[in-house]
Amino acid sequence: MSSSDILVSVRDLEVEFSTREGPVKAINKISFDIPRGKTVGLVGESGSGKSVTSLAAMRLIPNPPGQVTGGQILFNGTDLLKISEAEMRKIRGNKISMIFQEPMTSLNPVFTVGYQIAETLMLHQGLSKSQARAKTLDLLNQVGIPNPSQKIDAYPHEMSGGQKQRVMIAMAIGCEPDLLIADEPTTALDVTIQKQVLDLLQDLQEKYKMSMLFITHDLGVIADIADDVVVMYRGDIVEKNKTEEIFLRPSHPYTKGLLACRPPLTEHPRRLVTVSDFMTVDGKEKVAPKIEYVNPTRSFTEAANPVVLEVKDLKKHFPIRGGIFGGVVDHFKAVDGVSFSVRKGRTLGLVGESGCGKTTLGRTILRLIEPTGGDILWKGQNITHIGSEPMRQLRRQMQIIFQDPYASLNPRMTVGAAITEPMEIHKIHGQKAERLARAEHLLEKVGLPAKALSRYPHEFSGGQRQRICIARALAVEPEFIVCDESVSALDVSIQAQILNLLLDLQEEMNLTYIFISHDLAVVKFIADDVLVMNKGKIVEMASAEEIYKNPRDEYTRKLLSAIPKGVPKTLLDRGITLPNLNA
Amino acid sequence: MKFLARKIKGNSLWSDALRRLLNDRFATWSFVVITVYVVMAILVFFNLVGSSWQESMGPSREAPDLSQGPLHWMGLDIFGRSVVLKTIQGTYTAMYVGLVSSLIAIPIGVLFGAVAGYFGGWVDDLITWFSTMLANIPEFLLLIAIAIAMGKGTTTVCIALGVTSWVGLARLIRAEFMKHKNREYVVAAQALGGGHMRRIMKHIFPNVLHIVIISFSLRFVTGIKSEVILTYLGLGAEIGQRSSWGLMIADASGELMQGVWWGLAAATAAMFPIVLAFSLFADALRDAIDPKLRH
Amino acid sequence: MFAYIVRRLLYAIPILLGTTFLLFLLFNVVPGDPALQLAGKHATREVIETIRAELGLNKPWYGQYFDMLKQLITFDFGRSYWTKQKITDMILAGAGTSFSLGFPAFVISTSISLLVGLVIALYRGSKLDKGVVAFSVAAQSVSLLVYILAGQYFLAYKMGLFPISGYDPDFIGRWQYLVLPIIIFVFLSVAPELRFYRTIFLDELYQDYVRTARSKGLGTKAVLLRHVLKNAMIPILTNLVITIPFLILGSVLIESFFQIPGLGDLIVKAIANNDRPVLISMTVLGTFAYIIFNLISDILYALVDPRVQLK
Repeated sequence: MSSSDILVSVRDLEVEFSTREGPVKAINKISFDIPRGKTVGLVGESGSGKSVTSLAAMRLIPNPPGQVTGGQILFNGTDLLKISEAEMRKIRGNKISMIFQEPMTSLNPVFTVGYQIAETLMLHQGLSKSQARAKTLDLLNQVGIPNPSQKIDAYPHEMSGGQKQRVMIAMAIGCEPDLLIADEPTTALDVTIQKQVLDLLQDLQEKYKMSMLFITHDLGVIADIADDVVVMYRGDIVEKNKTEEIFLRPSHPYTKGLLACRPPLTEHPRRLVTVSDFMTVDGKEKVAPKIEYVNPTRSFTEAANPVVLEVKDLKKHFPIRGGIFGGVVDHFKAVDGVSFSVRKGRTLGLVGESGCGKTTLGRTILRLIEPTGGDILWKGQNITHIGSEPMRQLRRQMQIIFQDPYASLNPRMTVGAAITEPMEIHKIHGQKAERLARAEHLLEKVGLPAKALSRYPHEFSGGQRQRICIARALAVEPEFIVCDESVSALDVSIQAQILNLLLDLQEEMNLTYIFISHDLAVVKFIADDVLVMNKGKIVEMASAEEIYKNPRDEYTRKLLSAIPKGVPKTLLDRGITLPNLNA
Repeated sequence: MKFLARKIKGNSLWSDALRRLLNDRFATWSFVVITVYVVMAILVFFNLVGSSWQESMGPSREAPDLSQGPLHWMGLDIFGRSVVLKTIQGTYTAMYVGLVSSLIAIPIGVLFGAVAGYFGGWVDDLITWFSTMLANIPEFLLLIAIAIAMGKGTTTVCIALGVTSWVGLARLIRAEFMKHKNREYVVAAQALGGGHMRRIMKHIFPNVLHIVIISFSLRFVTGIKSEVILTYLGLGAEIGQRSSWGLMIADASGELMQGVWWGLAAATAAMFPIVLAFSLFADALRDAIDPKLRH
Repeated sequence: MFAYIVRRLLYAIPILLGTTFLLFLLFNVVPGDPALQLAGKHATREVIETIRAELGLNKPWYGQYFDMLKQLITFDFGRSYWTKQKITDMILAGAGTSFSLGFPAFVISTSISLLVGLVIALYRGSKLDKGVVAFSVAAQSVSLLVYILAGQYFLAYKMGLFPISGYDPDFIGRWQYLVLPIIIFVFLSVAPELRFYRTIFLDELYQDYVRTARSKGLGTKAVLLRHVLKNAMIPILTNLVITIPFLILGSVLIESFFQIPGLGDLIVKAIANNDRPVLISMTVLGTFAYIIFNLISDILYALVDPRVQLK
């Protein structure tokens, strides 16, 4: 490749962040190229330095605490790190533009979206107000905003998350940049919206022949759109190659782990492979264990797997207030007449997009939210209206694990106190020493060292915190656990570890799960049966295999088609399957 | 104080915060100043220092004189009393006002804020309505109204400050409780079978405690400054009861034109370090407890 | 929008009734009979009774409370114990005077603190920022009274730049007396205000939309003056509206020291002379003004912030 084909060349880039404990290297002498008109995928887990790299290219690293300490970023041969701030401003939003992960907060709430797009055009292209408005309308049209002549005067809060991200894209492509940086642009969006935004980005890239740097933690997302892939791990680039090569012949164990840890859609492994199967903590390669495939349909018997939970016509309506006297004018029907049952030792998957009512349903079953109507039967006993004391007793049998591992542990309590608290509440397992011994045992069970007992939650990573939450839920020896998006906030590689842990625990203790998720691939892997929810109602209910193979409902089909295939389309078209890395 | 910081072993957010405080020069010096004033106030309370402040030491309004011993360093007042001793006595009044007004405002504010924020519904409506009413009366006028109703004196000043200032704290605590009660760790405690008391006291309260501590520090700032103004307006300590910086500054309004500056200077010099120390300490606490808020 | 304003107005009524009742309770727990105080030491029983009837003190409590509301609505508060003048006239005379002092001081101090707050937020962490913040913290650690005393002593008494105290009701003549009080007023307001504005600006500066604006290629000043300022102005504007009643109320201490016959001075004299009707009517009226401006501030907030959804 001749140098004129290279748009951006990052050379030995180094970034440092100053912390209370002294300077920490966020990026350690990395080098890679972005060819003209091509898409480069920058992949890594949180904290790998991928976002910092993109911010460095925009010269937007917050300083303090961050600082570029060495290297070059050559853009069309000019070192962006050397030019003046005034020159850099002419490049930002014009030659290089960027879209961010959080469409909700990335737009200015007090300006109309039309103004915010036009502002860029007026700044860089010297357009008049009316010219900029005409072009803004055209851009809104191009990014697929319905009814642009009306939406141009809308404020950000009047739009959905997907629409806001489209506005961000319109703003970014307005000046036809040479490089578009997309920093996890779809992570905060629902799967169906994610698919639409990815398609849009790909179309626009081809249309404007721009280069794209696409940052993500999920290799599957970029399989289709990236030409080259750069894999980052702890501030270093561990592998870079053509996308096809990365998928067919990954060389670094970390890349192998990333590729293998996504729940596959066609086969059914007994356990998911994780990054730690391929490499040790300090980055040394090891031989991965062989994957064991099992029959996806687990059989059950009436005697061994009786129905433990039955939900009949459950409703939860939230009042909407309005009018002069602030009276109830309408109801938001979060859960609207849902019926199903769960058998002991099995997992019911609950799938749907944000706002479909799945979280409300999960909490209503546990009476953490009081239902508006319907019945909840636990082992035949109707618990819909029982008093708080009997309900408190029942909580020993029914537990919940939440989505956000950062919010679900009390920051002022040690891990030991958090795990022993449930025993203290229910006055089980004797005295303090006995309880601590049991907490130690539980920690071991979820794969954490005993010394974690005296530590505080902030000293642990997201995945470790989720393990602590599981240990806490297990402290009361429950039979039934609601997992509410319990792996959604985690990086894919950590997600696989937690899913494996949940499966192991189920096998060992014969646990019953309701597994709530927006990700059909994850649900297909872990659940026996699946409910698809939309707007508070169940639209489809079948076994996990059945849902995937023969979806009957339109909405289910839409969800399924939105799952990233996780394989480059070019390979799929040629009928090439990915190698089994554990073979 | 860095050597002390290294001695803190724990790894909780509190010991982290304490370590950061001890590494913060401003915070440690503020703490030293606060300690000195508190010790002084305690000594005055037990009549170990300055108990003879009402005795006449010499001629009326004698100018500062370094040759006649420490009691004459800051001159004498209209009755020939030592300004140094009056200032020391005033330390007690200042700390008393800060402490007592805090002890009134903080429990009320925390209790009402916690109950309103946690339970919501009509309890919240009622408490919010009541505190909005109090907040609607301009603070200064409410202070006067309370002072009129209760008669003059230092205790009135404390009660008036306490009653007017719980509203702000209650609002803060209410907002925090509303935020925290829906956090997943609190819902988790509920799911584990924890009752309301456990959720309020063991889970949410430790997470809002820093607001209480900061507010305690800031109450002293407001208390000491308000005492001066209310005393000037004739609502605070009356002459002869006890000495206060407010009285000394109020007296200066008549004396300054006659060249008697030492009473004012002594009271101001005594007040400046302690008010500054409490302000800086509150700032440092905020930074240490929540580094995210650091600007 | 209309429904919102009506709802907000309706909500203000119980607040107003509750607050005035609270004040009523407060003023009626005062020990001592106002009639005795008014009648003097040697009054006969009949005289006291007549005064009681005149003041409405022989009515039941709800009658007395109703009288208080009636006073507020008719803007007729009776007469002062001390000066025997009509309180309404005293308040009207004082309000104009206080406004002459408060309004210029308000405009100047707000402009200065907004400007300085914006500049130090822009150069946050710099020596300038640290210096200004340190100065403002230190300045706030000295009592307001000390500044007033020192200003009066040095600038007026020692240097003779301004009159020491006094006032001239003439519209032109009053200003020579007001310059020094306004300067001191501005100085006292700027220190706390600029820290308040700085915090608001900094809160906005850390928002994600600022990063977006910068990624568009906007310069620091454009980001600050266009994007940040418009967001920050929402809390600032609503906050400013609430302070307006205090302008009319004036600075109690400054008026008292410089013998400017405004509302603040009226209050101080009423305290000194135990003039209850004046204090009560000032408190009730101040509270009323505060509620009204709170209402205006809320409605303004709903108008300027596009995020507030009015249903």
